[in-house]
Amino acid sequence: MVELRDVSVRLGRDAGRELRFSLERFEAARGEAVALVGPSGCGKSTLLNLVAGLRRADVGQVAVEGQDLAALGEAALDRYRGRVCGQVFQSFHLLAPFSALENVMIGLRFAGCRGAEARRRAEAALDRVGLSGRRRALPATLSAGERQRVAIARAIATDPPLLLADEPTGSLDVATGREVFALLRETASEAGRTLLMVTHDADLAAELPRRYDCAGLVASRPHEKGGAAA
Amino acid sequence: MSLARMAWRYLASRPAVTLLTLAGIALGAALVCGVLVLKRESESAMAREAALFDLVVGAKGGSLQLVLSCLYHLDVPAGNIPYEDYERLRRDSRVRWAVPIGLGDNYEGYRIVGTEPHFFELADREGNPFFAFAEGRHFESRFEAVLGSEVARATGLAPGDRFAGTHGLVRVAGSEVHDDFPYAVCGILEPTGTTHDRAIFGSLESVWEIHETEDRIHAAIQGTASLRRDSPREATAVLLRLETPGLRLRLADEIRKRSGGIAAIPLNEVMRLYQGIVSPMQRALLAIAGAVVAVSCLAVLATLLQAGERRRRDLAILRSLGARPHEVAALVFLEGALLCGLGLGLGWLLGHGALAVAAAWLRESTGLVVSTWSFAPGEAAALATMALCGLLASLAPAFAAYRRPPLADLSLDS
Repeated sequence: MVELRDVSVRLGRDAGRELRFSLERFEAARGEAVALVGPSGCGKSTLLNLVAGLRRADVGQVAVEGQDLAALGEAALDRYRGRVCGQVFQSFHLLAPFSALENVMIGLRFAGCRGAEARRRAEAALDRVGLSGRRRALPATLSAGERQRVAIARAIATDPPLLLADEPTGSLDVATGREVFALLRETASEAGRTLLMVTHDADLAAELPRRYDCAGLVASRPHEKGGAAA
Repeated sequence: MSLARMAWRYLASRPAVTLLTLAGIALGAALVCGVLVLKRESESAMAREAALFDLVVGAKGGSLQLVLSCLYHLDVPAGNIPYEDYERLRRDSRVRWAVPIGLGDNYEGYRIVGTEPHFFELADREGNPFFAFAEGRHFESRFEAVLGSEVARATGLAPGDRFAGTHGLVRVAGSEVHDDFPYAVCGILEPTGTTHDRAIFGSLESVWEIHETEDRIHAAIQGTASLRRDSPREATAVLLRLETPGLRLRLADEIRKRSGGIAAIPLNEVMRLYQGIVSPMQRALLAIAGAVVAVSCLAVLATLLQAGERRRRDLAILRSLGARPHEVAALVFLEGALLCGLGLGLGWLLGHGALAVAAAWLRESTGLVVSTWSFAPGEAAALATMALCGLLASLAPAFAAYRRPPLADLSLDS
């Protein structure tokens, strides 16, 4: 389902030293739920961004469902993000002027689903996360837990095979965090989705069947003139 | 949800900035529309009136003064000419139509124009009757009066009502009222869209009788009556329609040479006035309006750039949801387009609406009849230019949105 091989990404340079993400091999099977763990700045989110197509690898291969993302043009990569990846962020990333229902419908719009069908699927997704009574509510009027539920509804409304969650409970209290985590797991497992979840919460990570330790993926080394090292 | 609807929702989500920007655009557009409509109306009214007559013959003085005083009822005439001049001109084979007018009195600020009944037979250049009666008929005897439409509306006088004129061409407190010579209203004219709507027409004999009697009374009071003879009959001006407009210059020249008066060509005088005074003022007003529009376009640019900066995260979210670069650029561009379109639409309504509201006042104070809800020449082009400027101003932030990669604004890297 998800496969990264010999990936190298230059992240930046600081005081003559180069920050580089390097990964020999990572795989996640269809339907598998993986916790990406490790200290801050170790490369968890970079790994997630590479799979989401938000960042391209300098070298190496990032493949999702057999499709090499490096081979995709910008337009195809945009379509890939809309249809294959459902993303959930720590700070929810909802659009403030739009209601919960509209936020979900906008996600569907850019995945190619519009009109009555988009409304039907958005309503079903909000029903699934327990927010059928809050469809018209603006993000500012929702609690943090409700906002993350809307974000999950937006992520699953397009029925993607892959769910990417970056610290989905990081802005929530413990109890709400556990509810959101449970919802995320359910919505992934019931549809056979692959779930990659970045988390600092060791307890939550322990509940997922597999943990992948990202420590050491990002390393600082002296800058080498003349090109990237794999 | 369409991109246009999303753009609208983003505009609606910051009402203060949106309304202020809209107000700026609308104000500029309203000014441009208002100035252009007034320009059209004033030009057409002045030309319509000036084109009615080929020549105005009057006492020596300025040509423009003669035209303004005797045709537009705005200035004071320099003097009178002998009535015989009118009779001689009437008999001239080159003159198709001639009518004398005599000024001297007013009623509530509206000039009383002494003339002859065939004045109402005046035809426009297409040969259609220029005057039509809304009520009553033209005067047939002394001290009957026909009211212009605006006079009837403002004074409330109706056929059968009586009124007395006041000495002088403008209303001045304490002026002598000719109570002994009341006029009886016998007819009211349909609106003509000219200054004739603001005039009262009676017979020239009435004007003569009032002033000769007043002169005799004053002479008797001063003890000089026995020394005075009856004053010669005079007219303030003679309005002429010639057999062909090509005769204007030659006849004007002849009149200047053989009589003590002058002949002015109304169209020339009006054009001179227009190009000398009115047109530069209108150009100045249009320049001011253009500056307002330019500032408004800059405001659109500033608004969109500011909104774009604030919304970098939102645009990045849309990209993470699968939005293509041209879609987020279109979203930003549509916000600018909506601002411009709405602003210009509101401006058009505001400009024309303000004229509609002010139409009655304009008619009353200037005699200008404004056709408020139609496009003036150049108005559509001006609005299109403003729209183009606004759209160009929207391109820069849209292009910035197109170029920006989403990752930087999502803050996903750890």
